[in-house]
Amino acid sequence: MKRIVILFTIFFFFLAANGQKYMTKNGYIGFFSHSAMEDIKGDNNQVAGVLDISTGEMVFQVLIKSFHFEKALMEEHFNENYMESDKFPKSTFRGKITNLSSVDFTKQGKSDVTVEGDLNMHDVTNKISAKGTVEVVQGGVIAVSKFNIVPEDYKITIPGVVRDNIAKTLEISVNMKYAPVGSK
Amino acid sequence: MKTYVKILLGVVVFIALGGIGAALYFFNLQHRNLGKAKPDFVITAIDLQKAFEENESAATAKFVNKVIEVRGSIESVKPGEGSILNVTLKTGSDLSSVICTFARDADPLKLNAGNQVSIRGECSGFLMDVLLNDCSLIK
Repeated sequence: MKRIVILFTIFFFFLAANGQKYMTKNGYIGFFSHSAMEDIKGDNNQVAGVLDISTGEMVFQVLIKSFHFEKALMEEHFNENYMESDKFPKSTFRGKITNLSSVDFTKQGKSDVTVEGDLNMHDVTNKISAKGTVEVVQGGVIAVSKFNIVPEDYKITIPGVVRDNIAKTLEISVNMKYAPVGSK
Repeated sequence: MKTYVKILLGVVVFIALGGIGAALYFFNLQHRNLGKAKPDFVITAIDLQKAFEENESAATAKFVNKVIEVRGSIESVKPGEGSILNVTLKTGSDLSSVICTFARDADPLKLNAGNQVSIRGECSGFLMDVLLNDCSLIK
């Protein structure tokens, strides 16, 4: 009897897990800073992310050192002075789609969503809310969002000399192409 | 004007121009071309992933920010934003691999699943996979 219960549990777990979780290791997160002095853009194409379509939960994780800049000096300052990536190598977001019922994952199409959750970077965690879209496509789900953050909210101090070179709020772009877990 | 004033002025202008030139040079410095950089480590994708899985902090101290030439078999090639290519190399694990991101000069024709390749890049660390950036195809 015990064995049957275990087997049944495993079977049920597989059934529940099958087709519910989507993931990618090649997602994109970028940030853009516009100021009168210069435009600064950092791109990260190594974002790991999981989306659970049964609960609407989303997890994103990046390595700070994977952000890439046009100029070598920008990348150095970003890592050493602002993000201190040797001390705080990773940034994580854990959140949830708040209006999951308005997304129909059974048919292709795009829906507007709002995601709320905790963004951790530079050893500081803040609640954030972002608007975006979730698009169900052949063989996957594409999630896209743009939102703003303020560096000072994450205890990132920018020296007065270069403060005018960096925007007060940074625009974050997210573009994730998820595939069902289990497919390569 | 006396000769020595002229010479002094010339020297000052020369130093000032040199300083401005040097500042502009460092400000606009592009990334190193890792295809020509001497690698700090030459290792197989299997051994590199194993090193991070077994002891992440030791492997981080050893490999991160270093130029690594990694050898392995291509599992998949996926496009990122713009002209970016992400090349995944097979390892001993089904869940974890070595992901090499090509920012430029990537020739997708030479990067096909199943190919044996040597790729040189700078190691950013370990998430679920070992991540290399600024990659160049060596062979």
